[in-house]
Amino acid sequence: MHPSSETSVRAATVAIELRGVTRLFGTIPAIVRANLRVERGEVVVLRGPNGAGKTTLLRIAATALSPTYGRGSILGFDLEREREEIRLRSDLLSHQTRLYEDLSAAENLAFWCRLLGLEAAGIDAALERVGMLEVAGERVRGFSQGMRQRIAVARTVLRRPDLLLLDEPYTGLDAEARHAVDDLIREAARDGRTVLMATHHPAPEAVAHRELHVDGGRIVREAP
Amino acid sequence: MDVAARGLGKATSRSGERALGIAALVAVVVSATLSLVVAPPDAVQGEVQRLMYVHVPAAWLAYLSFFAVFVASVAYLKTRRIRWDRIAAASAEIGVLFTALAIALGALWGKPIWGTWWTWDPRLTTTAMLLLIYLAYLAVRRVVDNPSRRARWAAVIGIVGFVDVPIVHLSVVWWRSLHQQATLLRIGGPEIHGSMLTALLVGVAAFTLVYAYLMTLRLRVGRLEERAVREALSPQVGELEEADA
Amino acid sequence: MTARAESFRTRNSVPFLRQAAAIAAKDLRIEIRGRHALGTLLPFAATLLVSFGFAFGPGRDVLERTAPGLLWMAMLFAAVMAARRSYQAETEDDALEGLLLAPVDKAAVFLGKAIAVALELLVLVIAVLLMVVVLFDLSPGNPFALLGAFALGTVGLAAVGGLFGVVAEAERTREAVFPMLVLPLVTPVLIAGVRATDLATTGQAGEAAQWLGLLLAFDIVFVSVGILVFGHLMED
Repeated sequence: MHPSSETSVRAATVAIELRGVTRLFGTIPAIVRANLRVERGEVVVLRGPNGAGKTTLLRIAATALSPTYGRGSILGFDLEREREEIRLRSDLLSHQTRLYEDLSAAENLAFWCRLLGLEAAGIDAALERVGMLEVAGERVRGFSQGMRQRIAVARTVLRRPDLLLLDEPYTGLDAEARHAVDDLIREAARDGRTVLMATHHPAPEAVAHRELHVDGGRIVREAP
Repeated sequence: MDVAARGLGKATSRSGERALGIAALVAVVVSATLSLVVAPPDAVQGEVQRLMYVHVPAAWLAYLSFFAVFVASVAYLKTRRIRWDRIAAASAEIGVLFTALAIALGALWGKPIWGTWWTWDPRLTTTAMLLLIYLAYLAVRRVVDNPSRRARWAAVIGIVGFVDVPIVHLSVVWWRSLHQQATLLRIGGPEIHGSMLTALLVGVAAFTLVYAYLMTLRLRVGRLEERAVREALSPQVGELEEADA
Repeated sequence: MTARAESFRTRNSVPFLRQAAAIAAKDLRIEIRGRHALGTLLPFAATLLVSFGFAFGPGRDVLERTAPGLLWMAMLFAAVMAARRSYQAETEDDALEGLLLAPVDKAAVFLGKAIAVALELLVLVIAVLLMVVVLFDLSPGNPFALLGAFALGTVGLAAVGGLFGVVAEAERTREAVFPMLVLPLVTPVLIAGVRATDLATTGQAGEAAQWLGLLLAFDIVFVSVGILVFGHLMED
């Protein structure tokens, strides 16, 4: 584990390190003794049948869930004790777009910028990049899943996380939205940031470094 | 924290449990004798007043249990060790029984004395609010199936509830002082006859032992439940470290 | 490993109160758009009060005497509904988890939401007060003591509702548990609020001071405790 005294310069070349992570929901084991190691700058894809535990694994890495047993560190920060540091540097994109229905696309992003101290000036550029600038003033309530996910992508663009986590991001998306997600992943890979993604879809070409298979709560390595 | 845990471990061993059980039984018998036979009947209220020897200890335990819930809740949030959640849950289950008992006895006592079941006596009313908070605590535990979330939420309620009870009591006391009505129980030196006081204190001690005994029982059942769950899981999961004793 | 990949950002630089203000502003904007207070709470309060009128009337006496109590009962129910609504917006697209996974001070989420609920309730209170003055012939008495009681009372209700509202929405069958939690806890607000209102409207505003003090103490305790423990209600 990494000494927590080192704050500004993390000696971490490891983005994700999970050791013996088990997560139970009551008597149901979702993830069992998972050991995962993702180096900085890697793009790793998790594959596996529904209910295999991919979502649980991602959510643990995102600090949305804490492991029932086991330990880990994300970007050099302890999974249990330094969650806010992890949250500062990572972002999770899933089927749930985490938007406020009664606010417009621009207002949603403006809220997040105000909350996180991000540059509000970047909002228009981010919306344009995902092709949502024209409808920026309309309420989210009328939007399709593809449009919502594009707003979520714009939010991630503004946040520039060091670790990008994606849980079945392509579900229910149209072509334009899928393109926006691919674009986000490619940009992260280009910048040397880390990506961990669970999906049934093929990953954007030539981006994924590794593929891991998850089944019955365990990780089975597939490609080197 | 660890010293307390070790002491708790000792008390909850089988021999400790048996010793506690015997002590509790003895204390209850002694207390019953004192309150029913030895202590004289009240000059004003007559035999009915003997209800005090059960009512007051029950009320004392209602609050002691809740204090235990509070302490265990704080300990859980600080240490995240599931043992504290188990203690809080056990104490709440036992406490709610004593609380209901105290209120029922209070009503039983009040009927012949005041002619009505309920007089909004400040202490009794606060105890009734305590019962409602207990019930809310237990309801949340029942309704949440994710164990880590259940433990956290219950702990928060245990803490918030405990902090609220004194404020509730203060507001009820002020509220009731608008109407000067005597309470059932006047605890204060010269008012209580010597042997009555003794009987009362022995009753309190007896009930405390009963509480401790019930706690050890409940905690043992809880541990057995968890062991059963772990064993049911082990074919899929393998040997899991015992989260804590 | 490029220089850009290494993050030298320290904690979220936005100060705590500014985070809370952003959240409160967001909640209020949603409220104004959705018009929940105007569209649902106000008619609900009005219906409740009229029903009380039927139940306890038509004698003027009884209504006048019970008016403070009925007023606060209406506020209690409105507070439960407002808090629940506040969290409903957070669960539609799981925005609450977004707040959890962002480097936002969780206590700021609590404070922001409680502030928004308190402001909604205050607006509601003024409208409801007018209704009660009309329906139950309640004299406004000492307006300062009256407004003080309501300001402090709504803060207390909003604090408890804002704290446990997350319990109401986070999982499915929690509907009934939320009021079960809130109502016993806000007993002091009910007692003190009714007493203070009664004293203020019958020309005894001086004696209302102790009840206002109790309300203030309740507010301070619950806001402080809420700030300390709210994070635990969001984490899993």
